[in-house]
Amino acid sequence: MTTMYVVLVLALLGAAGAVFAFVWVVRSGQLDDVDTPPRRILFDD
Amino acid sequence: MTVAAARLAGCAHCGLAIPAGRTEFCCIGCEVVYGAIARHGLGKFYDLRETPAPAHTTTRTYAELDDPAFERVHVRRQGALATAALYLEDLRCTACVWLVESSPTCVPGLGQVRLDLGRSRVDVEWDPATCKLSQIAQHLDRIGHAVHPYRGFDRDRQHRVEDRRLLTRIGVAGAALGNLMLLAVALYAGLFEDMSVGDTTGFRWASMLVAVPALGYAATPFFRTALGALRSRRLHLDLPLSIGIAAGLIWGSANTIRGVGEIYFDSLSMLVFLLLVARFVVLRHQRRASTAAELLLALTPSRARRVDPSTGVSTDVPVEALLPDDVVIVLVGETIPVDGVVTRGTSAIDLGLLSGESRPVDVGFGARVHAGTVNVAAPLEIMVTATGEATRVGALVASIDALAQRRAPIERLVDRIAGRFVAIVTLVAAVTFVAWSAAISLGVGAEHAMALLVVTCPCALALATPLAVTIALGRAARRGVLIKGADALERMATPGVMFVDKTGTLTEGKLAVVSWRGDLDAAPLAAALEAGSNHPIARALTAYVPPAEGTPTNVNEQLGRGMSGSIGPHRVVVGAPSWVATQCHPGSQLDTWVDDLATRGQTPIAIAVDGRLVAVAGIADPIRPDAAAAVHALEQLGWNVRILSGDDDRVVQVVGAELGLLPASCRGGITPEGKTAAVLAAKVDHPVVMVGDGVNDAAAMAAATAGIAVSGSAEVAIEAADIYLRDPAIGTIVDVARGARDTLATIRRNLRWSLVYNLLAGTLAVTGLIHPLIAAIVMPFSSLTVLASSLRSRAFGGRR
Repeated sequence: MTTMYVVLVLALLGAAGAVFAFVWVVRSGQLDDVDTPPRRILFDD
Repeated sequence: MTVAAARLAGCAHCGLAIPAGRTEFCCIGCEVVYGAIARHGLGKFYDLRETPAPAHTTTRTYAELDDPAFERVHVRRQGALATAALYLEDLRCTACVWLVESSPTCVPGLGQVRLDLGRSRVDVEWDPATCKLSQIAQHLDRIGHAVHPYRGFDRDRQHRVEDRRLLTRIGVAGAALGNLMLLAVALYAGLFEDMSVGDTTGFRWASMLVAVPALGYAATPFFRTALGALRSRRLHLDLPLSIGIAAGLIWGSANTIRGVGEIYFDSLSMLVFLLLVARFVVLRHQRRASTAAELLLALTPSRARRVDPSTGVSTDVPVEALLPDDVVIVLVGETIPVDGVVTRGTSAIDLGLLSGESRPVDVGFGARVHAGTVNVAAPLEIMVTATGEATRVGALVASIDALAQRRAPIERLVDRIAGRFVAIVTLVAAVTFVAWSAAISLGVGAEHAMALLVVTCPCALALATPLAVTIALGRAARRGVLIKGADALERMATPGVMFVDKTGTLTEGKLAVVSWRGDLDAAPLAAALEAGSNHPIARALTAYVPPAEGTPTNVNEQLGRGMSGSIGPHRVVVGAPSWVATQCHPGSQLDTWVDDLATRGQTPIAIAVDGRLVAVAGIADPIRPDAAAAVHALEQLGWNVRILSGDDDRVVQVVGAELGLLPASCRGGITPEGKTAAVLAAKVDHPVVMVGDGVNDAAAMAAATAGIAVSGSAEVAIEAADIYLRDPAIGTIVDVARGARDTLATIRRNLRWSLVYNLLAGTLAVTGLIHPLIAAIVMPFSSLTVLASSLRSRAFGGRR
């Protein structure tokens, strides 16, 4: 079961990393405009 | 005689019917935009377009954008390049994004162009050495998007901070949810698989260490609102939510530390996550309102032609630079930029924007004119008395903001229920605690009371309204009904008084020949004579029949009276009957015809050919074909429909009679201020809905319980309204009324379901039969029930 605790800590660290990545994405403004980009991918040039 | 019935193909740009006198396009706007698109090889626009609509362009030069004063405030320099943000009108869909962002291929020197559809904002980057901002603005205008300086920076910044903070909370709650679920699954599995006590404790501690900081942070908005509500002694749904979340976190932590008892961290994280997502969706729907300063900008031109008193030469200046007693010149078709007094010229002015009057008013030396009205007949020189916010339209716009803020928030159904809910749950929890403590022990009492508080946390109750409303808003938007506030539907759900503006709402909003007395063969001659005039009555006559061959000669136009001239061998006189009678042999029928048309609320225009009166045309603003049916359907739904118009009272009475309304329900000749007063007076007893299209209705819309703007409305009316109908059919209002009623029915059903769940879970908790696994399954299940119930709502054609 000791392995379990090691993995648990690793998993939580991974989750914390994901949260920081998300916070960075939000702060950098990538989610400010969510209306226009989905339309932009329709242009093929 | 059929009026250009053969034109079936429609406008090459927007597909609408082509009026007589035009060949390929329905209006000049479409023609200009079609030409610009073709010239730049951007025909792909038509493949991408979702909903065709007529285009609007102006003839502005945008020279004011190159002004150093403008540049200082709005233009940023980055090395050799300059950047600026502009506000664009008429942005609709993917095709608009593509068209606007294709601009760099059309304007040399223009770099990157980024459009933000939600804010109608475009960020442009250009090389000042190669091109000017005015050229970019001209290009955007010619492709159908009139340009204004972007003024929403402060509001944008504030919204951005709020949005980002909420998104971060959603992210944190979501991550906590995922990890707590994994830990919870291990714990639930351990229940059946003989997990050692030590491992169970380890997992419980891990759960607590994740849940308390993550949920404590993510649920802050609920705690804050609940505290605010407590302090101001108001009821708010966040109060029972906060009690549940806080009880769960505290009791779960206590049990973790004690090493016995239940923890509810997994259920709590699900609850917080769902609530935050619902809140975010609702918030994004409410981000449409604008400020008074921006509205004013959209209404009145931002530049004027100032006349130099010594040289008489006119130069373009920003309106802000004008001072009282300056003289400006306003050309035909231009919007008057200031309040002032006419110093030279005679013309007709379309007051539609300000008063809703369908007929233009003649003005001459010394007449007072107002900003926002349109000069339709001849150039005018105007001495400035007021500009910007000091103008009449400026004051009107400012009052819209004030009225909208004064509008008391409706007491939301769900908040009322939340109030009773808090009282009942707290009481039951207290009873549970006392009863179990007396029967067994204090520990068991606290355990069961806390379990009750946690499992009855009204997540489904909190989701019931936003889900139903958001789904209804989405469906309505697909049907061309844009509903701004989430509570606008709730406001519309109870039938009351519906005031409808006449011009542009029940009627088409522009003059046309609606009846003809006498010889119809005179019509092409009249049309040919009037073809050279810009006067709206002349345009109505020209549009009635294809004009006769030949160019009119010896044309004499007398303002306020009429026109005379020769077409081929014929001498034709067209104008006000009293004036035409002096120019010809009136005959015996003139008075009969004129009286007949006047009682029908039409403006009689007499036509004489070769010195003999031959016909009288009745000019009016025609009633929309579906108006009578719409009024009837609304009355069936329980609405009391009334007309409130700035137009002449006789005209209003005639329209009202044709729609089957009582004379007492129809009032004409009302000023914008009068409309607001009428709305406020009626609002004392009933919910009031104001339907309109012009600036003159905007304040009344803001004062009403809910305001509806119809297609083609002035921008300010759209902004003041809660609901905007993109479809010109007035019948859509009936859909809105029905949709609002059905949405509220869905909300009520959702509330019933969530209360049933709470009763069930509450009973289990009180009797001590609740188990964390049951709670973990039943809590999200109740939310799913509400989601399913919202999806199968009938509102706006959800279920046919």
